Formats: sequence, structure tokens, C-alpha cells
Amino acid sequence: MNLERIMQIDRRIVYLFVAAGTILPIVFVIGLPVSITPPVQMAFDRMEDLDPGDVIMVSFDYGPSSAPENAPMADAALRHCFSKGIRVIVIALYPLGGLSEAVNELNKVVAEFPDLEYGVDYVNLGYKDGAQAAMRKMNENIHEVFPTDVRGTPISEIPLMREVRTYADLELCFSLATGIIGEWWANLVNAQFGLPVIVGPTAVSAPKYYAYLEAKQMAGLLGGLKGASEYERLVLDKYPDLERVYATPGLYTATKGMDVQSIVHLIMIAFILFGNVVYFTGKRRPRKAA
Amino acid sequence: MPISSRNRVCFLPLAAILLAVLPFLLFSASVDGQPPPETTGSTLVSETPPADTVAGQPPAVEGLTAADTPDDEGGSVTVKWTEPAGAAELGLTYRVMRADSPDGQYTEVCELAAGENEFMDAGLTDGQQYCYKVFSIVGPGTAESGPTAPASPRGNWFRMYRLNALILLLVFSGSVLYYISRARRAKPIYIRKIAGLNAVDEAVGRATEMGKKILYIPGIMSIDEIQTIASLAILGHVARLSAQYNADLEVPNKDPLTFASARETVKEAYLEAGRPDLFREEMVNYVTYDQFAYTASVTGKMVRERPATNFLIGSFYAESLLLAESGQSVGAIQISGTAEVAQLPFFVVACDYTLIGEELYAASAYLSREPVLLGSIKGQDLTKLLLMLALGLGVILESFGVAFVKDAFRMH
Amino acid sequence: MRKQVPLLLTFCAGMIPIVALFVPERHVSTVSTTLDSWLIIVAGFALLLGVVNVVQMNTNKIRRKTSGWPYAVVLLAGLAIMGTFGFAGAFGGFGGIATRLDGTSTPFDWLYQNAFLPLQGTMFALLAFFMASASYRAFRARNVEATILLIAALIVMFGRIPFGEMVTKWFPLTTEWIMAKPNMAAQRGIMIGAGLGAASMALRVIVGIERSYLGLGKGE
Repeated sequence: MNLERIMQIDRRIVYLFVAAGTILPIVFVIGLPVSITPPVQMAFDRMEDLDPGDVIMVSFDYGPSSAPENAPMADAALRHCFSKGIRVIVIALYPLGGLSEAVNELNKVVAEFPDLEYGVDYVNLGYKDGAQAAMRKMNENIHEVFPTDVRGTPISEIPLMREVRTYADLELCFSLATGIIGEWWANLVNAQFGLPVIVGPTAVSAPKYYAYLEAKQMAGLLGGLKGASEYERLVLDKYPDLERVYATPGLYTATKGMDVQSIVHLIMIAFILFGNVVYFTGKRRPRKAA
Repeated sequence: MPISSRNRVCFLPLAAILLAVLPFLLFSASVDGQPPPETTGSTLVSETPPADTVAGQPPAVEGLTAADTPDDEGGSVTVKWTEPAGAAELGLTYRVMRADSPDGQYTEVCELAAGENEFMDAGLTDGQQYCYKVFSIVGPGTAESGPTAPASPRGNWFRMYRLNALILLLVFSGSVLYYISRARRAKPIYIRKIAGLNAVDEAVGRATEMGKKILYIPGIMSIDEIQTIASLAILGHVARLSAQYNADLEVPNKDPLTFASARETVKEAYLEAGRPDLFREEMVNYVTYDQFAYTASVTGKMVRERPATNFLIGSFYAESLLLAESGQSVGAIQISGTAEVAQLPFFVVACDYTLIGEELYAASAYLSREPVLLGSIKGQDLTKLLLMLALGLGVILESFGVAFVKDAFRMH
Repeated sequence: MRKQVPLLLTFCAGMIPIVALFVPERHVSTVSTTLDSWLIIVAGFALLLGVVNVVQMNTNKIRRKTSGWPYAVVLLAGLAIMGTFGFAGAFGGFGGIATRLDGTSTPFDWLYQNAFLPLQGTMFALLAFFMASASYRAFRARNVEATILLIAALIVMFGRIPFGEMVTKWFPLTTEWIMAKPNMAAQRGIMIGAGLGAASMALRVIVGIERSYLGLGKGE
């Protein structure tokens, strides 16, 4: 009976442990090492294969809810591009907060690279509703989908956009995604229009992206915070100059976030093992009694 | 596992797969043996001598052709050429020039770096003729290719590279429509038991007996998501039962289009059940377009009102576990269903019954027992069988280094 | 007639994108992309319908003082405040909706940063708590299948954190193998079945034999 009660542990006790495991590593940073997995290495290598001056699209397909997972990916991807001299077209397809995330992250990263010129090295085209329809239409004409940039400048007056009219003028799209928009980049844009796609989804939706990765409908995958921390590591190793940015005190990075995730994982593993030990102890006991 | 698994005629699938695979074989053979698409523009070899024969002058491109871009809606010509040897080392750039006739006034269209040997010139007028030249440039040195024969853009009526998709579509639609048409005459079609759908009546009855609410959550996606339509079909059934039992049904919505459709579905169901008097507008309500604000509202409702039954059927994302675990914590009987594979584990853990993938789409046929709807499931199962056989065949042949099945299914 | 016209419209709207997938001809693709644009416009108007419904429902709740009516006040206040600043900001009022050029926050941006963002983050973060309680309940080695599931779960959880690699490099490698092979094989099986089911459902809707989503019990 006592074992029964232990097994049916009040969920609030579990929540308490998880809360402690979340808060403590934020206060006391551990700095756990990061190992690289093949999907992230693929994404990084694909970006490294690009030449300076190439143009890619970075699509902000997430909102503030998943920003702790997606924002470090966006930052690492933008820092990678600007360190390598790749030009970036930023768009946002996620309705609630996608645009704000795009503006905030871009402003943050651009401030770290003072030589960049808006409209030449990067541009923010802003938000467009009807993600799937917009994605289809961009294959015909990006200028019709985004007639102006986020500041209201007509797209024809932006030097970078004079060179880019359709997906054919882009080398790649990097989508930071929550929900289905990331999948549309793989199964619609890549499958139908052939644009190479890298997706950085939240960890909870990462498993299904493996199917697209294996089918070569994606050029790389950054699964959740773990993927983001790996990409950060790879970018830092290749461009040590960025250490000045990542060493900024108080800056939230995926590598720091991974401390929390690792500890909470350990707590969950401990609870699962505990539950099973209690379960087996309970199973053995009646047999003894019999 | 196919849903309707009792197939009396064993040779039918085998014959069908032969029929299905045959066009793929022909297609792959025709693709392999196709002449290059730019046959309409004849080739003119460069008149400029190769660079290595003239000191200081870059080599001209060779084999320049211009032809209507195939499989497009018109308005573009594709220009192709062969790069001279060592183009990258020389740092060549190519300037593509266009004129209305071979001897006409050439104007620059674009400039490309070494490594490129193709350019699609878009925004042209269908039916008008265009000629092209390509200049190879290194520093001040320029070599000019001869002009191409005139090429004129035109719109095409079929994307040949999607022939395999069309064949698959026809095989699939054909088998579904065939079994639908047969369904009225044939014996009742067997469909395996789906526990989650069998539990629908019981779940509605339980809520009625307890005098508590039934919460129906039709996913968070819009009506262009087919899972939402499947969910509305089940909602229609649940609403009819609720009308019959006079149960308290509530449908909170995240998407405005789904909201408008769900309201119509419930209204019609109450009308059909003969109880339009029981229908109230607030039964189907709109909450917010934001995923997590919606989740907060619905989980709050679960905790405060403690519904007896929760239906979580449709397309769900990160909110799936938040909704299902909240429902579980208040002891509601929960029937879930989705085709979102990443969310299925959460539903399986926290719900009593889960409709997995295709079970969701089979629900309307299962619940209504309409022969024509059941027929469509049999047709769908036949295609699935064909795909399984093609998959098996593909794996075996691929193991022996024969790739035609894989190539035949490749989407371009 | 009331039922025939929508079914005819459904048939046309369903067939046009299918034809456009195979026929590149300009007129066909124009019709198809126009339909896409219509969808965006219709969705915009439907959102307006939703907002009207929210206001009506919650006003009624407050007027009747039904249970939980204070929540309705909070909801309407949120809608009014955020809506006003957002709407005015879109037309340049209050300095717009993003950060001003001098770096200061506009009212909309301030609310976004200090209310919307943390509330959203909190809701998403609840997943960690719910996942912990759900996995504690679910992962029991009750039978062979459940034991396999449990072992796979433990390997993946260990392999996704640095501690796994500290124990042995096989943890991350096995994790990647589990994710890329058995996980993907199972997912594809479900996806193929679901894809065919969706196509069959779509076909039934297009040809008009599936009407249960309209609330009609009979398929014919």
C-alpha cells in the first residue's frame, strides 16, 4: 500500500524537482562540454561550402514562446553568415511575434558587426501572412510577396534585392521554426522548387525532421537547444573572433541553456528509474507473501 | 496495417502493381533516353579561335544554345554553353547578351562568374524571337561566341517531370473511386475495430450521466489542414450524439476559419438530430489566434469546470501535452487523434484512446458506416498495398544495384 | 441547392491547385495563385469574425456575471490595450510597433517584451514539467514492449546531454542511430499511412461524398 502511494507520487513533487533543476544551473553556471552530432555538422558544412557574397534567406518562423530554443540558433546562423561574408535576406512567416523576433535578433547581431551595410549585406523584408501561399509565390517573385522591406523602402530600391527575384537567386534557406512552417520549407519549397533548406526546429518537433533529413529534403538540422549549442560550438571553433561576442557577460546562449536541460534530463531519468525500482519491488512482494 | 484487410481477390493487387509499375518503367526509360531539351535552338559553334591560339585573349565559350525553357508557364528562354577548359583558373566572367535577331542590336542581360554554364532569361514575351551571344571576359580581354539560332519562349501544357506524380495520382484516385462506385453493389466492407472511435458514444454518454461538460478541441490549425476537416467530421458525430442526449458540448477554437466551420458543423448536426432548440451560439466559441494563449484558456477551463470528456482531435503542436496532461489531471475521459507524428507519443501517454494517423481520416467512414465512404478506405488500402510492394521491390532491386524503382518514384 | 452550390465550389477550388501542379500554363497558374491570395483575404475576415465573437461572448459573461467573469474582464482589457497600441502603431502612432530609432521602446514593443514574451515563454516552459510527470507515469517496464521503450528512452535522454558522452561516446552515437533509423522508420510508416488517408479524405471532400464535416450524417 505504501509502495502504491510512492508510485502515485504527487505530480507537484516532480514539478518541484524540475523547478530546482531549472533554477539552480541558471544561478550557478556549470559550462558542460558540447559534442557535435552529424545533422548539425551537415548544416554547418553546407553553410561553409557557400562563398562570400552568396545570398541566403533566414526565415523567422517562431514566436516568443520558443525563443529560448530558436533565438540562439538564429543568432549563431546570422553570426556565421556575417563572419563569412554571406549576405542575408531576413523574412518572418510566423504570425505571432515572428516579426518582432526577426527585428530584435537581427538588430542584436548586426550591432556586433559594425561594417555591415543595410540593403547591401543584409535586409529585413518583414512579415508576410499566409505562410504556405507566400512560400509558393516566392518561387515566382519575391518582390511581389514583399513589395517593401520592414522599413517601408520599395524593394526595387534595395541594392541586394535587385539581384534576387526568386528562389533560383538564393543559395539556401535557413528556417528557425516552431510548428509546421519549418516542415513546409522541407516538403514544399525544397521538394517542389529545389532550394536547399536547413531547419532549426524546437526539440519537441525535431524527431519528425529526421525523415526529411534522411530523404535529403534538408541540408541540415539543428534539433532544439542541443542543436543550437552544437552550432554555436562549431561557429566558435571556426571563427574564434566571435569569442568576444559569446564571452559577453549576461548573454543568453544555447550552451548555457544546455546546462539546465542536462540537469532536468538527469532528474527525469532519476524519477523514471525510481518509479521502476518501486514498481519491481512492489511486484516481488506479493509473490513472497504467497 | 491496411484498415480493410480482407481482400478476397489475391491476384488483383498483383495485376494492379504490374499496371502501376509499368508506366514508371516506361517513364524512367524515356527519361534516360531523352535527347537534351534544348533541341529547338540549334547550336552554333563559336567563331572565335580558342584562347590558347591567341595570346592575351580569353577563350570563348562553346556549344552555345538557346531554347524555350521546358515545362514552364512561358516567358523565359534557357541559354546553355560549355565552359572552356581552365575557366575558373583564368577567372573568366560571362556576359550574356540578347538581341531580337542574329544581326540585331545586342544588349547585356546578365554577368556570371566561371562555374556557371546556364542562364534562364525570364520576363520575355511569348512568341517573340530572341538570339543570344556570350562574351567571356578576363580583365580587358573579351572573346565573343557566335549568336544562337533564334529561340522563342512559350507556355507549356504539362510538366513532364511530374509524370510519375500524375500516374500515382491516377492510380490512387482510380482505385478509390472504383471501390466507391462498387461499394453500393458489393457486400458490406469489413473494417477493423478502432477502439478510440468505439469509445465516442460511451464518452458522450458518460458526460451526460455525470451532468458535466464535453470539451471538443478541433486542433489548432486552419481549415486548409485536412486533419481539421477530419476532426470536424468527428465533431459532427459528437454533436449529433450531444443533441440526442442533451449533453453540454463546448468547442473552443484557435483558428478563425475552423471556428466558422465548426459552428456550422455543430448547428447542422443539432438540426439533423431534430433538436435545433438545444443549439446555442456560445457552444462553439473563438478564443484567440495565439497558440499558447489558447492553451492557457482551454487548460484553465479544464481545471475550473472539470469536464467529463475531452476530445483532442485534429492537428496539434507543442500544446498537445499541456492540454492532454491537464485533462488527465482532472480525471476526464480523453479521446485524442492526430496525424502529427511528433505529438502522438504525448497523446498516447496522457489519453485513454488515441487515433493514430490514418485512423483519424477513417473516422467519418467508420462512424457513419456509409458504404461509399468505406469503399474509399478500401481503395486507399489498395494503393497502400501497391506502395508496400513497390517499396519491397525497390529495396530488393536497390540491393542488387538496380535503381529504376527509386528513380521512378523520385519527385522533381 | 443550398448544399449543391457549396459542393460545386468545393470541387472547383479543390481541382484547380491539382491541375496547376501539373499544368504550368500561365492562366492556370494565375488562377491557382489567385486562389491562394483569396485564402489569405478570407482568413483575414474570419479573424475579424473571431474578434467579434470574443467581444460578444465575454461581454455577455460580464453582463450575466457568470462564473469566472473577472477573467473575461482581463481578457477584454488585454485585447483593448494591445489592440489599440498595435492598430495605432501600424499606422505610425506611438512611434510604431518596434523599437524607436533612438532605442527606446514603443508602447506595443514594451508590452510585447515585458508581458507577451514572458507569458509565452512560461506556457512553453510548462512542457518541461508536464513531460516530467507524464514520463514518470508512462515509462514502466510492465512488459517486453514497454521495457524496450524504456531502454530506448533512457539511451536517448542520456545521449542528448553531455553527461552521456562523459560516460561513453556510445550514448550519443546510439542516440543518433535510434533517432535516424528505428524512430524514422516508424514515423515514415505512420506518415505514409496518414498521407494516403489525407489524400483519400481530400478526394472524398472534392468529389462531394464526404459531407460529415458539414454536420450532415449521411454521406450521400
